[in-house]
Amino acid sequence: MSVDADDPRFRPFFDAARDGRLAFPWCPACERFHWYPMPRCPHCRAGEVAWRDVDGAARLYSWSVVRHGFDEAWAAHLPYIVALVDIEAVPGIRLITNLVETAPDALAIDLPLAAVLPPADSADARVLFRPR
Amino acid sequence: MGGIAITGIAETTPTRRADKGLHELVVEAALAACADAGIGPEEIDGIVTDGVVMPTTVPHDFVAAQLGASRGFDAALSYGGAGTTAAPMLAEMAIASGRATNVLCYFGVDWGTRTGGPYAFHDLYPAKLAYEKPYGFNAQPTYFALWARRYMHELGLREEHLAALCVAQRENALAHGGGQTSAPLTRDDYFASRMIAEPLRVPDCCLISDGAGAFVMTSRERALDAPRPPVHVLATGYAAEPTSGEDVFTQGPDLLTLPAVRAAADQALGRAGIGIGDVDFAEVYDCFSISCLMQIEDLGFCAKGEAGPLALAGETRIGGRLPVNTHGGLMSYSYLLGVEHVIEAVRQLRGDGGGAQVAGAEIGLVGGLSPPDYGVLVLGR
Ligand SMILES: [Zn+2]
Repeated sequence: MSVDADDPRFRPFFDAARDGRLAFPWCPACERFHWYPMPRCPHCRAGEVAWRDVDGAARLYSWSVVRHGFDEAWAAHLPYIVALVDIEAVPGIRLITNLVETAPDALAIDLPLAAVLPPADSADARVLFRPR
Repeated sequence: MGGIAITGIAETTPTRRADKGLHELVVEAALAACADAGIGPEEIDGIVTDGVVMPTTVPHDFVAAQLGASRGFDAALSYGGAGTTAAPMLAEMAIASGRATNVLCYFGVDWGTRTGGPYAFHDLYPAKLAYEKPYGFNAQPTYFALWARRYMHELGLREEHLAALCVAQRENALAHGGGQTSAPLTRDDYFASRMIAEPLRVPDCCLISDGAGAFVMTSRERALDAPRPPVHVLATGYAAEPTSGEDVFTQGPDLLTLPAVRAAADQALGRAGIGIGDVDFAEVYDCFSISCLMQIEDLGFCAKGEAGPLALAGETRIGGRLPVNTHGGLMSYSYLLGVEHVIEAVRQLRGDGGGAQVAGAEIGLVGGLSPPDYGVLVLGR
């Protein structure tokens, strides 16, 4: 389940994550973030998109305990939690993720979370979250 | 007399796995719709479908070749159920401007047999592959489960509400007959059913089908000569937010309101010169129980958070204040992404609803959802 992220539009997120940082596309022209990455800023259509680091504090927007294997890879991991989290430093940007160091019974809307970034040499660059 | 009418409808037998291929199913539905309209297939001179699914699976040229139909008009409108539902918008323009006389709309799908089924569909979005699929966010039930959980928190949705909508639609399906599932569904059955992605259970999810549906449109004048009672297109609405399909399930300030639904409904009701209260029944895109409830609200049938209580009060059943998905819908009849909703609305307005007929049905509304697009079709006798 490693991330195939060679697309230059998507790769800076994973490069930053392996470097211990959470980063999102940011427009130097209008100084706003956007997500998911687009070739141009969707707010002002500027063609240059930079990436800017943000703090990994997040809140649980919603979650689901998945109990059906929709494909073979995930059928072996049932049940698992998929979460959608609000990045506190960037209102309006959410990440799909998995939660660690917790259990379904402990979850609640707006639960405070912290990003868990992958090791520098990991093939798996997924960014996970844990309660904080 | 301006405007258009739907004169012919047809669908293949609702089933999970058909013994025919997708192209054959579409052609079968198209030919049967022409026969129902009382025209030869070669009299079709315009085709309109959704603009994303059909053009890449069963293209217009293939269907036209099978029908022997020379086209003077051809168009596609973005995205699945929204495109099919709003297809009469383009048919009306073509017929009014004299570019076409008989316009065919069709939709078919073989997700019952195709590897990956509906789950593979969103692979067309590279951002979803990069940022969602690696976390097991890989199927529509999980997308809508997140909305349902948040909706429970913000608007007081309860599992009882979801159950009531699902039970009512199954009841409708059994009264209607001919659907893909014949098993009754009680409230107890609902709560005993398997969780797919919490809080959504098996009955909260649409069926998966192989099949096709089609309908034929012509001018109201010509419709007077059709063998079946014409069903008039009173108005159409189509709206799409500037939101990518990559973002639509997870980003944006408010995931519990679908702005395109309200926009398309306002267009259609305004053009028809009616209020939402004039609608006698609705066929609402019920890919999931939660999305159906959200549309009932955003269409304006009730306030935000009140669709669940409406279902729990039995008002979405046949005989209720607002019968919803009189054939059982995508959850209990078939999943052809909403072409069956248009077909069922026509049946109702012809008085062919059988055991699911809504008494005195004069005006029906069809809502087609394929986020970020929405289509509304208002039909009348
Ligand atoms: Zn900008």
